[in-house]
Amino acid sequence: MVSQKALQHAEKCRFCWMCRHLCPVQHQTGKELNTPRAKGLLLSMVSKKSAEFDRDMAQAMYECMLCDACVNDCCTGYQPPLFIREARTEAVVNELAPEAVMQLIENVETSGNIYGTVKPSFAREGTDVLVYIGEVAACKVSGMAKALLNILEKTGIRAKVLDNEPASGAMLADLMGYVEEVTQQASACADAINAAKLPTVVVLDSYDAEIMKQRYAEWGCEIKAEVVTATAYVAKLLEEGKLAPKSKKRGSGVCHDDDRLARSFYEFAPVRAMAKAAGFDLAEMFNRERLAKSCGSAVALGYMPEITIKVAGGRWQDMIRTDAKAMLVANPQAYLCLSQCVPAEKELVDLFTALDESL
Amino acid sequence: MIKRILVCVKLVPTATSVEMDGQFRLKRDGTSLQLNIADVSALEAALRLKAATPDAEVVVLSMGPAKTSQTLQELYALGADRVILLSDPALAGADSFATAKALVAAIRCLGDFDCLLCGRRAIDAETGQIPGQLAAALGIPAVTNVQQLTARDNGFLCQRRLENGTAQLEIAAPCLLSVCEYTYPLRLPGIMGKRRARDKQVEVLTAVAVGLSAEECGLRGSKTKVIRVDTRAPGLRKCRYCETDVLAEKIREVQL
Repeated sequence: MVSQKALQHAEKCRFCWMCRHLCPVQHQTGKELNTPRAKGLLLSMVSKKSAEFDRDMAQAMYECMLCDACVNDCCTGYQPPLFIREARTEAVVNELAPEAVMQLIENVETSGNIYGTVKPSFAREGTDVLVYIGEVAACKVSGMAKALLNILEKTGIRAKVLDNEPASGAMLADLMGYVEEVTQQASACADAINAAKLPTVVVLDSYDAEIMKQRYAEWGCEIKAEVVTATAYVAKLLEEGKLAPKSKKRGSGVCHDDDRLARSFYEFAPVRAMAKAAGFDLAEMFNRERLAKSCGSAVALGYMPEITIKVAGGRWQDMIRTDAKAMLVANPQAYLCLSQCVPAEKELVDLFTALDESL
Repeated sequence: MIKRILVCVKLVPTATSVEMDGQFRLKRDGTSLQLNIADVSALEAALRLKAATPDAEVVVLSMGPAKTSQTLQELYALGADRVILLSDPALAGADSFATAKALVAAIRCLGDFDCLLCGRRAIDAETGQIPGQLAAALGIPAVTNVQQLTARDNGFLCQRRLENGTAQLEIAAPCLLSVCEYTYPLRLPGIMGKRRARDKQVEVLTAVAVGLSAEECGLRGSKTKVIRVDTRAPGLRKCRYCETDVLAEKIREVQL
């Protein structure tokens, strides 16, 4: 059912249970099925023909944020997202995926984004860098996108944004695994970015940045420009003194390390540099940097809102333990998920907006 | 216009070290197998030719143990129209000559084709002899070490890798083209392709079905026999650089 490589990973588990302690979905649902090791066991049983891959099993494969927390700490090199993505492919192929998942896939097919709507345009002409906004920021967290463009404008950087910005494939890859349909989106996206002929593409959403930097070349659709995360780009502008934020104390805050930025790029410093520049005194959560805990993803919020809001709530609990006033976020998907359940007397801060306001 | 493309593929061990049996044959049981890296490029080249010629058919042929059929079945999802496995215990232990002979017998059973694609060499045995042997036995022209391929009216335009550069060659169909590894990354299967693949089975051919006698197969049909395998001890090389005027003397010293 899944590839030999994926099955090898599924069967590598030594039952140490570390992944159980790290999985943000298991923490909130308490279901044993929601441990990465249980998902591996299920697929192993299917391969040995002692169980059938059915709707319940497919559902279990979707109750995962693909956040890589389990990969980060596994002593066997076990990579559950590898077999979970393949299992999702099988679920879609065999029409066993949850209805809500199929609806999101249909939305992508008909409108190019998971929301099934016309994506608001941020198109503008520029000759210095290309900014890739992404569908979540464009449709749901537009303030963050506008703030990033404002910051660049205030620095004198002429940023171009594509009209009809194509999807990167990141959403579809989380919904149906790495399949040809995803590479087709990736290829169209790379072509559009390459056609802009700019030396740098600044990517706002870490999910888009991850697939562009880590998958496109492997699929033969390499982006010729340098792909830089928006956080890293803005932090570099701060470091080079090209941004001069006004000194303004904004109280205490904790930076939420986005799981893909943290574990795919080991990128922790830029978000903290932005927070300090915006005037925050930084506290830290225990689950930070490579140990960062996911607060959900836009895709998961789309097909399992209840669980995703619980996962976001779990992240707020981590924050509450620090006594900080604000949760500081620089990723549109994290902002979207955390905004669903902001605790009383706590504040969710979009760091791009905060920095823009301080300039 | 291309109508039929044959692709020969081999499944090779994924492991970096594989044991040998008493007859110096690789022990393939118990090791996981993957498509040989150069054959990946050949298959992708075939699928691209097919995409450019909608009515073209891609037929994949492999020779190996029955257990490889599960991995080969996945090739339907990529767009292969037929996947054929030549599998028979009698074929075990074949050298490159006997392997080529068996493949040629199977290819003849499959009928006419415009192009026979294969990887330029397999990473397990590394002989690189099969493409040439196939072309010679089938009596068709061949271009080896292809690293770019385009269909032309009655043939193909190939870029061939040479030691110090490349050469552009035109070749008329039917022909054999052996493709370099890493030339084309293999596409991922699509959802629709996987759905189509669910109902398809790998076609299995036996030695008898392709008209081979027991004497022509496997070890018995092989022209070569491995009599010894040595591993190179590390750190024993005694390479020395010398001027050409003392070379003859040095050669005499080491009794070459």
